[in-house]
Amino acid sequence: MKAQKIFSWLMISVLMIGLLSGCGVSQSSNARGKDHKIVIGAAMPVFDDKWLTYLYDAINDYDAKHGNVEVQMVDAKNDSVKQLTQVETLVVKGVDAIIITPVDTSAVEPMVDAAKKANIPVIVVNRMPTQDVLDKVDAYVGSESIQSGTMQMEKVAKLLGGKGNVAIMTGELGSESQVKRTEGNKDVIKKHPDMKVVREGTAKYQRAEAIQLMENWIQSGDKIDAVVANNDEMAIGAINALKSAGKLDDTLVAGIDGTTDALKYVQSGDLDVSVFQDPVKQGQGAIETAVKLAKGQKLDNKMVWVPYELITKENVEKYVKKWKEYNNN
Amino acid sequence: MESQETIAKKPTILSDRYQTGWKEKVSEIFSRYGIFIIFLGMVTLMSFLTPYFFNVLNLINVVRQVSFIGIVAMGVTFVIITKGIDLSSGSVIALISVVAADFAHPGEHSLFVPLAIGVGVGALTGLINGTITAKGMIPPFIATLGMMTAARGLALLYSDGRPIGNLSDSFLFIGAGEILGIPFPIIVFLVVGIISHLLLSNTKFGKYTYAIGGNEQAARICGINVDRHLILVYTYAGLLTAIAGLMLTARISVGQPSMGVMYELDAIAAAVIGGTSLTGGIGTIPGTMIGALIIGVLNNGLDLLNVSSYWQQILKGAIIVTAVLIDSRKNKKS
Amino acid sequence: MGAEYILEMENITKEFPGVKALDNIQLKVKKGTVHALMGENGAGKSTLMKILFGIYSGSGTIKFNGKELKLSGPKDALNNGISMIHQELSPVPYMTVAENIFLGREPVYGKSGWVNKKKLIENTKKLFETLNISIDPTTKMKDLSIANMQMVEIAAAVSHHANLIIMDEPTSAITEKEVEHLFKIIRSLKKKGVSIIYISHKMDEVFKICDEITVLRDGQYIGTKPAHELNQDSLIQMMVGREIKQVFHKEKAEVKEVVLSVKNLSRKGKFNNVSFEVRKGEILGIAGLMGSGRTELIESIFGIAPPTSGEIYLHGKRVSIQSPSGAIRNKIGLLTEDRKLTGAFLPLSVKENMIISSLENFVNFGYIKSRLVKKTCDAQVKRLNIKTPNLNQLIMNLSGGNQQKVLLARWLLNDPDLLILDEPTRGVDVGAKAEIHKLISKLAQEGKAIIMVSSEMPEILGMSDRVLVMHEGNQKGELSREEATQEKILEVAYQ
Repeated sequence: MKAQKIFSWLMISVLMIGLLSGCGVSQSSNARGKDHKIVIGAAMPVFDDKWLTYLYDAINDYDAKHGNVEVQMVDAKNDSVKQLTQVETLVVKGVDAIIITPVDTSAVEPMVDAAKKANIPVIVVNRMPTQDVLDKVDAYVGSESIQSGTMQMEKVAKLLGGKGNVAIMTGELGSESQVKRTEGNKDVIKKHPDMKVVREGTAKYQRAEAIQLMENWIQSGDKIDAVVANNDEMAIGAINALKSAGKLDDTLVAGIDGTTDALKYVQSGDLDVSVFQDPVKQGQGAIETAVKLAKGQKLDNKMVWVPYELITKENVEKYVKKWKEYNNN
Repeated sequence: MESQETIAKKPTILSDRYQTGWKEKVSEIFSRYGIFIIFLGMVTLMSFLTPYFFNVLNLINVVRQVSFIGIVAMGVTFVIITKGIDLSSGSVIALISVVAADFAHPGEHSLFVPLAIGVGVGALTGLINGTITAKGMIPPFIATLGMMTAARGLALLYSDGRPIGNLSDSFLFIGAGEILGIPFPIIVFLVVGIISHLLLSNTKFGKYTYAIGGNEQAARICGINVDRHLILVYTYAGLLTAIAGLMLTARISVGQPSMGVMYELDAIAAAVIGGTSLTGGIGTIPGTMIGALIIGVLNNGLDLLNVSSYWQQILKGAIIVTAVLIDSRKNKKS
Repeated sequence: MGAEYILEMENITKEFPGVKALDNIQLKVKKGTVHALMGENGAGKSTLMKILFGIYSGSGTIKFNGKELKLSGPKDALNNGISMIHQELSPVPYMTVAENIFLGREPVYGKSGWVNKKKLIENTKKLFETLNISIDPTTKMKDLSIANMQMVEIAAAVSHHANLIIMDEPTSAITEKEVEHLFKIIRSLKKKGVSIIYISHKMDEVFKICDEITVLRDGQYIGTKPAHELNQDSLIQMMVGREIKQVFHKEKAEVKEVVLSVKNLSRKGKFNNVSFEVRKGEILGIAGLMGSGRTELIESIFGIAPPTSGEIYLHGKRVSIQSPSGAIRNKIGLLTEDRKLTGAFLPLSVKENMIISSLENFVNFGYIKSRLVKKTCDAQVKRLNIKTPNLNQLIMNLSGGNQQKVLLARWLLNDPDLLILDEPTRGVDVGAKAEIHKLISKLAQEGKAIIMVSSEMPEILGMSDRVLVMHEGNQKGELSREEATQEKILEVAYQ
């Protein structure tokens, strides 16, 4: 009984502390609001993603460096419904512009509508919605997801000489990047009659899962000339499995993202292809565009392209340097 | 409520020994209306903390956001009262979402078709959950865990892992439409709430639900067809899940196989915060609706206050545990 | 002098929120005696014992062996030489008998913490030998009968080598034979100077084994007397506070046509070839020890576990009852043996508990007519004299006797022709017991056919028109009310 009572009070005090901390934040934001500072809402898909973290940091960095701009960033935890809710809340708060990186581009339209109904400018970043939604938004910053898949597979096709057996390792099923990257891969395969997808399976973007999946594929005895993974983590997992089986030399491995980890594997020659997408440039592009729109300025072009870049052993050092720079910020 | 006055005035030896001080009265009121008081307290607190909270647009937002989980939670309440659990709701929402979306493209079928198919799929999954639980003698935790995994798989399979968009305007209305300025999901939430409440508190179906959760063996001896009733309860839960799934799909204008992850836990949390006891036989629909609103107000308020999403999770966890703690103390007392 | 008493509890008071459970209680137990603690349910016996065993804390002083004792918990009590047999068994079902007995104090190899299983089993065997118990120490607890579990529990309490053993309803689940066995154990413990506090509802046992009796009522201390100065009537008077002369209210009822007739009914492994009939207005008692097949027999009649062969006739027509709902349709009601397990819906209200099996009568298209419910339930509360503040009170807050009355009301609402009562007064205090007996008699007068199963001989003898004697699944004979005596029944059972 007594212990329970104490525990109850403990819980209640946790609640109070939490609310008070929230209160503190809100007061400061109110104070800033009075000085007519620009408030930018950022509806982000998931905080727990390394690559996106650099994009978030770039956006938040702007807040830190510009006294007259405040960023309010929220995490949708990979749930489109939650993201819509968060956009609605940002609208209620009357922010000056909203940056959205959609959980799912096909579910972004209601969010854009909610913001536009309140005349708040919308900037979509990193994941490109369909044309009719693009017509409604004020700006798009990033590239086309599908391009990373095409770029990756084209390089692999070139290295294979246009023929061979390909295994595709896909990410979390149903996720935007998984769908688009795989689609891009397959578009390229279609153009090469001598190339064939012999295996396709998901390792949920995770290294450990990829090791298991690759081991199973090796066990099956199929001849695999190239493993094309939806991200670098899985590519690294595949490399580990292939190495233990002594088959790495006969197999091409390709990933996407160009993470610092992956670059090491590119340097050592284990990872043959990766695709780099610049998170910092996208983040910077997004916040700069948003501030411009919030101030009522006109854009030269509503499509702000930050294209993909192919990484191979030849140009890897350039990206190593780039990451060093980003990590120091 | 009605039989409050129907006290059989028989003084007992025991009652002479009860002391009715104000302390007891306060704790009596608190244990009966505690959740409601907490809810009002939270609303008041939020109104003071942020100017954005207490305005019509935002309040409508909150209730609309809550509607979906709230409807699922009502079905889950029935299930939990029978001493069961339903872990499949989130995945079933995804399955319903992609299947219904597939039949909701403009100019293909009438609105009735996707709705009927969605409700049908929902009821069917509930029927399977209930049948496996009742006839297979498999604990509902495992049966619905199986459904949770399988339904997600089916949703991915059916949609080939892709979202299914391009939905007709009439379909979109059920998620995004308004009647007299009130969003359609809110209307459905209230209607489903009233129907479920009457069903649970005033019908044979409801009494049997409580009886099975209160003492399954005794229920059998009282002539209740426990197996059939359990199947019906899970089917009803599946049906409500379908209603929520259809409206969610229309709300975000796309059928998604990845929709509804962890919603089952939010629904269970709403029921539990609302006073439904996992030990069976205890729970009410108004309680669950308030439970869902508490979660909604918390989410919304914390977002308005710009509290980091990490803190939000900690607070939500604390609230759930506190609610159950109050609940367990209530049970211990009696 | 202090040396005379092993235990002196004085001025013990315990309050729960809103209730004074114990008010200035005293309890003094002499060395080497068996001391009965008596009182109706809710009198405060269990609370007092929980304080003595360190589970609850209360005000007042406890002297043990002349020294003042402040206990921090059960473990402390055990270390001080007080052990307890709890009313509710708490076995760990998937562990062996030996592991259960020495739970928490297993013999280990040196200081390794590694359990010495061989020694564990040997210790158990030795313990059982001294107590004359023949149970294999390596059996899993779950495979034991309830009676054997109870014996293991007794052995565990003895194994602590305590100076004082509290026995809370130790015979509630065991048969006469084992009761005798227990009494032998108690006598030999007495000889060794061990004192025992004995709590039981069964008067005959108390007078048989106890030296002194302390009575509590409603949390108050009533008095302590040597057992030989009391008899059943005077003891009941102390417990109830009023004189209850006749315990069994058996009124004459007109016996009419046959309601139920059972021919050669068998269920494999449970009971064989049972044949009997019950008439309108008649009470048929079924006597038999635990495991005699009596509960299984009525379960088969009620459709819980259908018989494997034989015939059941109701009003002369052959019926096949496959489920309880079938039995209810055939106008049979069953008050089950275990109220908590198969009777009451503890989290539900008195009202809901009453109407649950007759809901059909209260609904309009599935919707409950709450006024009718209220009216009907109020009438039942009045008729059965159920003590509850209101109909919405949770049944778990009522006393055992009132719970039992609510369950009886449940079956009466179905207006059954045949009412089967399995242990109708188990765990019910004396006052309510008499009321229930009166009610059963009245129901028979109203023309119900009644089957009553009971392990309390006086109840069987006092209430039945005829007694069916069962033993180990066989029907051993039938005695008329005039023939039946305790001795005669045992004689028939063991013939």
